[in-house]
Amino acid sequence: MNLEKLFNPKNIAVIGASKDKSSVGYGILSNLASGCVYRCKYCKPFPGKLFPINPHADSIFDLKCYKSILDIRENIDLAVIVVPARIVLDIVNECVKKKVKGVIIISAGFSEKSKWGAKVQKELVDILSKAEIPMVGPNCLGIINAANSMNASFAPAMPPDGKIAFISQSGALADSIIDWSIENMYGFSTIVSYGNKAMLDASDFMRYFDRDKNTKIITLYVEGINDGKKFIRIAKKIKKPIIILKAGRTEQGVKAISSHTGSLAGSYDIYKAAFKQGGVLVADTIEDMFDNAKALANMPKLRGPVAIVTNGGGCGVLCADYCSELGVPLAKLRKSTIKKIDDTKKMHPAYSRRNPLDIVGDALPERYDVAVDAVLSEKYIGGLIVIQTLQSNTRPEEDAEVVIKAKKKYPDKPIICTYMGGKFTKKASNMLEASGIPDYNDVKKAALAMKALMSGIPR
Amino acid sequence: MKQLEFKKSLKLLKKYDINFVASCVIKDESAFNKVKYPLVLKVFSGKIIHKSDVGGVIVGIKDKEEAVKAFKKLKKVSKNILMQKMVSGKEVIIGMKRDGQFGPVVMFGLGGIFVEVMKDISFRVCPVTKRNAVEMIKEIKSYKILEGIRGEKGININALADLIVNVSKLSLKNDVNEIDLNPVIVDDKKAVVVDVRFMA
Repeated sequence: MNLEKLFNPKNIAVIGASKDKSSVGYGILSNLASGCVYRCKYCKPFPGKLFPINPHADSIFDLKCYKSILDIRENIDLAVIVVPARIVLDIVNECVKKKVKGVIIISAGFSEKSKWGAKVQKELVDILSKAEIPMVGPNCLGIINAANSMNASFAPAMPPDGKIAFISQSGALADSIIDWSIENMYGFSTIVSYGNKAMLDASDFMRYFDRDKNTKIITLYVEGINDGKKFIRIAKKIKKPIIILKAGRTEQGVKAISSHTGSLAGSYDIYKAAFKQGGVLVADTIEDMFDNAKALANMPKLRGPVAIVTNGGGCGVLCADYCSELGVPLAKLRKSTIKKIDDTKKMHPAYSRRNPLDIVGDALPERYDVAVDAVLSEKYIGGLIVIQTLQSNTRPEEDAEVVIKAKKKYPDKPIICTYMGGKFTKKASNMLEASGIPDYNDVKKAALAMKALMSGIPR
Repeated sequence: MKQLEFKKSLKLLKKYDINFVASCVIKDESAFNKVKYPLVLKVFSGKIIHKSDVGGVIVGIKDKEEAVKAFKKLKKVSKNILMQKMVSGKEVIIGMKRDGQFGPVVMFGLGGIFVEVMKDISFRVCPVTKRNAVEMIKEIKSYKILEGIRGEKGININALADLIVNVSKLSLKNDVNEIDLNPVIVDDKKAVVVDVRFMA
């Protein structure tokens, strides 16, 4: 089945669009018309034509309102359905008649709720499958395609545009992650929440994102999987890295899920084994998943030992400890490298002369420049971690410029930053992130990111 | 679920090139005349699932006198008695269960307390490739014990991995719900199944 029009439609009908600000139908139309309900700079209106459908209104947001999708003259690519469960079947029949190319059913009250709901859900799948119309949901948040400015969901806003696709069984989790991503400048290509996965499930979306030119890495939040074998079979064929976070690992968790989405979870040990066999990375926490995804989406694979450049001795040692604990190889700096640095006559006489390369607390951007360039220019060094601690004469933004320049000069080597601090380091950190250089506030995370870059792409 | 008959179980193992320790069913004490010691006597019955719980296994029998004593004792538990060669090496467990999501899943662990207390086990979904099998052996925390410590000889990981692959093949082709190969004894040369239970 072709999912293209679910993600990249040229026009959208919102069935159940509403003027009532407290309704989901209002939220969705508002998200499509402007990109968001909560304003932020990443929100962009959907560039195609929108058709609100509501028999009780003439217009919403200055858009002409239709009584039925069948009243629209143009062909419709995507129908977003947000009407009470009891009339969804009728609406879907109209969509089939209208020959739409894709359907998102936001409405809840199906297999997750009652036997009647499960029955209707099955009918919906039968009708749409027969008509070869792909369907997301029901009981889902919708689709947010940041790369193409489509917020066909009732999420609060649109995340920054990036290279990570996020497939989430939970809509609420996706909502909060969007809010977080805006604050942390964390970019997504597309976010899809698939709810009851009545027709399409995680594996179908993985397959779509593998071919999506805006996506470099696929992340998943999954509670239960309908067909485990299919998931693994498909995962094995996906060329892009996949990171998964699985809920329902404990018996308590499984109980919560059963009453939540109505899906059965397998034992976590078996899931983990299966994921491993499918070449899928398993994340332990939400933070873990997105920290790794950020590194994998922006940096090349690590192909040699790592150098650490730091203006704080302690942080350098700590980072080296984490690297060796995690099995990330550390480079032994050769005499020729040290000579290259010495010859510039820019270093403090007490600089460490070995890895971690401690360029001393009073380091100005010039010293970072010398050290960063010296190590990255060496063939025997595969990647770099740059640590900056904030001292009275430190110039965070200029230090960020040094790294941004280095990334352009050495695009084949991964660079990870740890600009430690908070308020006064934020601007530099944002500069790094905006240039696609992952920055973490903890040296352990930098080591973990290198670890992911080392083994993270099993393909 | 019903336990598969002992003879059928052996036939199934043989079909998939899984070595079972040299054994024979014995009817009376005359069997102890021309055998090599040490040996093991154990009961087998579809009704008995955990042999050692009912005192159904006696190991390290050194001579005929001990064998006769053990035989009499076991007769009280069951009329079906098996005599086995006593093999030594590292004790591991290989199991299979069917998962609702993924179908047959093979489990591997080190025998005894490592499985029961430490839950030091690894899983792979079938079909398990040779590479998968090697990974799952190396993945358990107690792998170092299998490698051999303080000058001890390590196990033949290749033979053990082959056995795991064969269990995977068996599981995919046959209608068994659970398999317990417990224990499997593995040394530097080979891996041998000492006890088997198929649940059909």
